[in-house]
Amino acid sequence: MNNRIKEFRARFNLTQEDLAKKVNVRRETIVFLEKNKYNPSLRLAHDIASVFDARIEEIFLFE
Amino acid sequence: MKRAIIVFILAALVLATVGIWMFLGSSELTSVDLVSFGVIFLVIGFAVFIGYKRLNSARRGEPPEDELSKKVMQKTAGLSYYISLYLWLAIMYFSDKLKYETHTLIAAGILGMAVIFTICWLVFNFRGIRNE
Repeated sequence: MNNRIKEFRARFNLTQEDLAKKVNVRRETIVFLEKNKYNPSLRLAHDIASVFDARIEEIFLFE
Repeated sequence: MKRAIIVFILAALVLATVGIWMFLGSSELTSVDLVSFGVIFLVIGFAVFIGYKRLNSARRGEPPEDELSKKVMQKTAGLSYYISLYLWLAIMYFSDKLKYETHTLIAAGILGMAVIFTICWLVFNFRGIRNE
């Protein structure tokens, strides 16, 4: 599974720390997500999609 | 924050105990003692690292634990338990062939488990958990 978190973060002008605070996780988790080293839970994926006002499948791309 | 402070207090207590053991124990340190101290310092270093990470997260206003850190801990606990079974099997096998006392072998097993846990945590923490 790939994701476009970095792209959306740049579009919304958010740092990794800002996004981490908004979805209540550590910054390392955002780093791991962006490097595709971790697949988030449905809850976290939903929270991230809510921050970017997008649908989950727009941010997380299933191969 | 509280848990990070508890980790630091525990690390300090272990360090103090090791210090007492070093200075009040036998006058000459054997190679087994030196290896034990090395492993204990390694484990204390790991605990301090974890405590420092938690403290840093708390300072930045982030949760000290989240779903990734919990998952890493779960995977680490599972794998290290599995590997530790083989460590104890090896210790049981070699206990007849080695002339170390029982308490030394048990201490080696406990320290070995701590080392295995540390290595598993490092692997999962830096490699990540994907497609699971």
